[in-house]
Amino acid sequence: MIEMALEIIVMIKQVPDSSEVVIDPVTFTLNRGAARNVINPADENAVEQALRIKDKNPDTHITVITMGPPFAESALLDCMARGVDRGILVTDRAFAGADTYPTGLTLAATITKIGKFDIIFAGEESTDSSTGHVGPGVAEFLGIEQASYTSNSWVEDGKVYAERQLEDGVETVRMEPPCLITVLTNSNIPRNATLRMKIDAMKRGIETWTLNDIGLKPEWVGLKGSPTIVKSMKSIQEKKREGKKFTPDQMDDFVNELVSKGILKLGGE
Amino acid sequence: MAGLINAEPPANPDEYRNVMIFLESRNGELKKPGLEMISVGSAMAHKVNEILIGIVFGDKVGDMVKQAGEYGCDRVIGYESPDLKDFRTIPYATLLSDLIGELKPNILLIPATRNGRDLASRIAVRSRTGVTADCTELDVDPNGRILQARRPTYGESTLAEILCKRHRPQMATARPGIFAVPERNPNAKYESEIRKAKIKKEYLRKEIVDFKPKTTVDLTSARYIVSGGLGLGKASGFKLIQELADEIGAYVGASRPTVDLGWIGRDHQVGQTGQSVRPELYIACGISGKAQHLMGMKLSQNIVSINTDPDAEINGISDYIINADLYEVIPKLIEAIRKKKAELKKEAKSESDGKKKEVKEKATEK
Repeated sequence: MIEMALEIIVMIKQVPDSSEVVIDPVTFTLNRGAARNVINPADENAVEQALRIKDKNPDTHITVITMGPPFAESALLDCMARGVDRGILVTDRAFAGADTYPTGLTLAATITKIGKFDIIFAGEESTDSSTGHVGPGVAEFLGIEQASYTSNSWVEDGKVYAERQLEDGVETVRMEPPCLITVLTNSNIPRNATLRMKIDAMKRGIETWTLNDIGLKPEWVGLKGSPTIVKSMKSIQEKKREGKKFTPDQMDDFVNELVSKGILKLGGE
Repeated sequence: MAGLINAEPPANPDEYRNVMIFLESRNGELKKPGLEMISVGSAMAHKVNEILIGIVFGDKVGDMVKQAGEYGCDRVIGYESPDLKDFRTIPYATLLSDLIGELKPNILLIPATRNGRDLASRIAVRSRTGVTADCTELDVDPNGRILQARRPTYGESTLAEILCKRHRPQMATARPGIFAVPERNPNAKYESEIRKAKIKKEYLRKEIVDFKPKTTVDLTSARYIVSGGLGLGKASGFKLIQELADEIGAYVGASRPTVDLGWIGRDHQVGQTGQSVRPELYIACGISGKAQHLMGMKLSQNIVSINTDPDAEINGISDYIINADLYEVIPKLIEAIRKKKAELKKEAKSESDGKKKEVKEKATEK
């Protein structure tokens, strides 16, 4: 196999740690303030996937990009400490309140400014909005092929292969670069950064770009550029659950209760 | 291809009429998530005196077009070509965008399956419009024919209503397993049209080199589910889970850690990164109930928790709690179920014997 010098871009997002988010018992909304910010889990798998391609093709150059507030710098540095070569934070007040359309547009404009690339990686979706629309949206803005929901991907003879996990099977696709791949959560085990690499990443630092740098009009991005609006939020009233207790020796009573209440139907129907 | 261009509302949104749905298929058969959009799509269309247009792509589409009509689409358009045999993003997105340009639908629904989302993301950008992902409630406001797309957010605790007032079509993807498949009516009246598709070579650069069908465990349509968690302690614990499941005709579910440990296949996983289920009965065995798991099963109609830990988080959302070792509980539960089954059988038998006797008696009366 011929080693290739690939240009890879990984799109990441910083999200509140979902294992730490607290759901307000009164309003049923997420208390984001209480949670630590982390790299979106699927995006960590995307970064790892890019690094694995670099492991096999050492001349590969990886750039990680994010659209977010200034403190998202830490997420980029974290990726650089794992072996990513370059980090770009695209940040501007104008980006606030973006839905998936302008988010994709902003990232696509950033990638256009970066210039040449062979593969773009992204996580399948973010844990805080769970749409999965941004990655493929970027592919559409750039007019390139895509493979979404992948558990594995590799480069062979200049072609990009990816395994897509679908509801009814596993599909392997072959694409010509440039292309975009979205990576499933838990599809690999992301490597850790060493202390030495962390220090090195801090020394190298990230680049910060603003709206001006990527050449989009202010009314095209953020809330103004978003076709959708959130009209209302209401808490989902959950069923009241009684939590009725049975001991292991009361299984006959328990089964009788399930059957008599029509919860469990045994045979004949 | 979209190019770096902003979302743009059409000059005249009133030109956009009717509800369009994209019906997913595999090997010439319509998939359930597509059929599930027919009732809700046609209800919205009819509410504002519009029609429901079903779109089908495939190698051969005749049977699927008929099926879509009989399930309730007012108009069905099928595109066929050997190049459309399998879902591929660019040819599918190109054809569907062309249809949007031609028919100008007010609303476009696509199933929130993996291929559906893959497609919807690109269609939204190409049509320079918005899309609301993974909706569980859909309605239309007759005033302005505005789609009210509602989706659970913040870990299923909140329902957000999202509007796309000026851009067209108003797009949403519908979560599988939420909307019911309508009754098929062989006498249904519908308009249909099958077109031959010509796909440009440049759109076919992505090749599908292999497809391994999964014998899927479709937990989303399961009536009963028995799930195992780390409390099983070992992979072989799933044998006991299976035994209980077999006894009541249930599917086997699992928490993510057991899947990560390789105790059971990932297609059994329930939760945020697995399947979202809402069976009539969910029996959680040795599952502590991390938020990510609860997110995928808390809409179950009835929840039973079998756990040694009285403070297990899952107990907080359980209708029934058996606070003991699952290895003690499950065999006893199976035994009780067998006993009950035998009882019911006996009752049924004596009842039917009684009926027979009645019939005999009536016969002799004559």
